[in-house]
Amino acid sequence: MMKSPYAELLAVLSRHRGVVGSFVVSERDGIAIDSNVQIGVHAEAVAALAASLHRKARLACGAAGCGQVTFLRLDAERGGICAAGRDDLVLVTISEARANIGLLRVEMMRAAKALT
Amino acid sequence: MRIAVEAWMEDPLRRFIDDSRVRLVLLLETSGRVLAQHGFTRSIEVMSACALAAAIHASAAEIGRQLDGNPFTALHHPGTSRQVFLGELPTARGAYVLLTVFDDSSSIGLVKLYFTELGARLAAAAPAVAATAPAPSFIDFESDLNRNLAKLFGRI
Repeated sequence: MMKSPYAELLAVLSRHRGVVGSFVVSERDGIAIDSNVQIGVHAEAVAALAASLHRKARLACGAAGCGQVTFLRLDAERGGICAAGRDDLVLVTISEARANIGLLRVEMMRAAKALT
Repeated sequence: MRIAVEAWMEDPLRRFIDDSRVRLVLLLETSGRVLAQHGFTRSIEVMSACALAAAIHASAAEIGRQLDGNPFTALHHPGTSRQVFLGELPTARGAYVLLTVFDDSSSIGLVKLYFTELGARLAAAAPAVAATAPAPSFIDFESDLNRNLAKLFGRI
């Protein structure tokens, strides 16, 4: 089967310590275009909800006059979700609490620039 | 105002509407008889939409059978500002069809996600049907449709 253009990018993100899943999602549709997730991650649900979250963050930043959203981080009890978007595409990662978010952020910002 | 003809459908449907942020919802039997509605203001619109949804569902199912050997059970049509999703929900009382219209406040990913949850909630909430329930005749269909529309628009 042919690999998607995002397969390598997602594989790099998923190799980070504590990352349990990464996706490229269409913000408008809320559907994962490609994903690399561990067993047990409900990929479709996370993709749809994270895309909706990113869209609302983009609209909020626009309304507040802050400009484009560059990086979105959501911390939770046992981990978190990070998102970085470009045009209609959003790169999303799910991580455990032990993940190095700083390093992940750098990698995601770099990867988001490559999204087309 | 009530949105469903039968009380057990109300809670699952209200949760679906709240979570998915859809604009219009119709729940119907595969025959086209309305069971619930949200967002419509006139009963004539509900009647037309039910007839069309039942026809689209039947056509899609038949195309699926001919192409794939299995009926297609979900259909998505993205318009420029509004989108339509039509899907089948199996319950103990037979298959129901959900027609929903949404705009940029939602997305097809969210609608599909909450549609799956709605199916599980309706299946869990559906009371057992009598094994000997007869199939409705054409005369029953007409009177049931009118009675359901009257219930949904507060006339009875």
